[in-house]
Amino acid sequence: MGIPVAMISAIYNLALTTGANRVIRGARIEHVCGDPDLGPEKDFAYGLQIVRTALQALETDVSGPTLFDPDESAPAREAVHAS
Amino acid sequence: MRLEIGTFPVHDVVFGAQTQWRDGLLEVARDEILDAVRSDPRIAKADLELAKPGESVRIWPVRDVVEPRVKVEGPGVVYPGICGRSITTVGEGRTHRLSGVGVVEVSETPWHESGGDHLFVYLDMSGPWSKIIPTSSLINLCVVVEPDPNLGVDARNDAVHNAVLTVSDRLAAATVHQDPPEREIFELTDVDPSLPKVVYILCLHSPQAMSGSPATFCTSTYGLTQLTPPWLFHPNEILDGAITGPYRTAFATSWTMANNPALLDLYRRHGTDFNFLGVIATRTEWTTQHEKEMTANQTAKVAKMLGAEGALITWDAGGNEFIEVIRTLQACERSGIKTVFLTSEDDPTGSAPTLLEPVPEADAIVSTSFFRADLLGLDPLPPVDRVIGNPQKISGRLRDHYVPTAGPLPAPQRYDDHYGFSKLSSIEY
Repeated sequence: MGIPVAMISAIYNLALTTGANRVIRGARIEHVCGDPDLGPEKDFAYGLQIVRTALQALETDVSGPTLFDPDESAPAREAVHAS
Repeated sequence: MRLEIGTFPVHDVVFGAQTQWRDGLLEVARDEILDAVRSDPRIAKADLELAKPGESVRIWPVRDVVEPRVKVEGPGVVYPGICGRSITTVGEGRTHRLSGVGVVEVSETPWHESGGDHLFVYLDMSGPWSKIIPTSSLINLCVVVEPDPNLGVDARNDAVHNAVLTVSDRLAAATVHQDPPEREIFELTDVDPSLPKVVYILCLHSPQAMSGSPATFCTSTYGLTQLTPPWLFHPNEILDGAITGPYRTAFATSWTMANNPALLDLYRRHGTDFNFLGVIATRTEWTTQHEKEMTANQTAKVAKMLGAEGALITWDAGGNEFIEVIRTLQACERSGIKTVFLTSEDDPTGSAPTLLEPVPEADAIVSTSFFRADLLGLDPLPPVDRVIGNPQKISGRLRDHYVPTAGPLPAPQRYDDHYGFSKLSSIEY
């Protein structure tokens, strides 16, 4: 039993390919955990949703590289296996 | 679109009273050319130095190498669009080139001020590094140039590259009224319709997302470096320098793009082995998975609409740009276009695959070796007698100290043979 890891990535397919078990879909390469165009409040809320999804991912058992999407209706823990 | 390329081979270069080419000897009027460079008020310092193959010389840092070319007949100018040059569509008429000579852009001007992307390309004119870098076997006229430091970074980049093009233009102009010793016609003639229809998909890194630079850093298309949709080129446009500009690898200089062996080989086999349909330039380093997949899909769509049955795919970068490239390959294969992928490989001893995202459709790969130069067994590169450019070279993983450029030095970080110039041999095991 190792230490569970959740990785937030804008280019999530790359993370899945390289063997990361819990991958959370980030926004863009320039701003992975938010979107400054949303303005400070919504940017913060969006970032919080991404981080919460990541924390939930840490508590989720997975059997291989799995994508977690913060945009899906909360709580986002629908796991999609990488192709 | 018919283009005649007239080649003037250069066997030696000397400084002299007049810029002229005669029987392979290129004479360069140094002072006159430097006056032209210095007449741009943005230029603070400029000098010209010669470096010849076999000399114990290191050129540091190298931002670009340009082959002197000039349009003698037909519309437009060579290397169009960049540095405010004419954007008239090129590729027709007659173009002269000086072969065997490079105009080297030597300057400390950074690409941008966003961090990263350091200048680290250098040329050795002798020794092991020189043997695998194509531009090391040229007679290199080095333009050592620094702009007014008070200018913005884009203006400094523009001024420095413009200085190099000024020198290149002056050299090539010496051939305008002479008959070229060698001539070659490039034309996409009607061919036997049963020949396989092939496109060349040329993936070009865009700096837009990382540096915001609109035009002055990275290989440009008619001067633009932005993220653009897939762009269809006639190969003649590329031979006239429509895809050009300073870049951060030794294998994607302006000289490299104009002498791309993958492009030239494909073109020369048009009508014999292939029906060459054209070149699709696809920009990479979009910053979401969606954008990367969309640009891949759209590239494959353009290829399909052209009627392609086969595609040669190359790229010029590393890292996340690979997604656009490999997904383009996948989208082509899924729409029935067979692909061949020319690429270097990552270190096979790490945990990541040698290709970042291996897809089953990538079943025809031509490898040009590992891109990490430290795996080539060249360390350390021997010291040299003379340095052109900066005698001090930034060093260390943290880039926190300077060492004498004359060396000895560890091999450069990357060896990126994007277009198959390779002088390396390989074994399969």
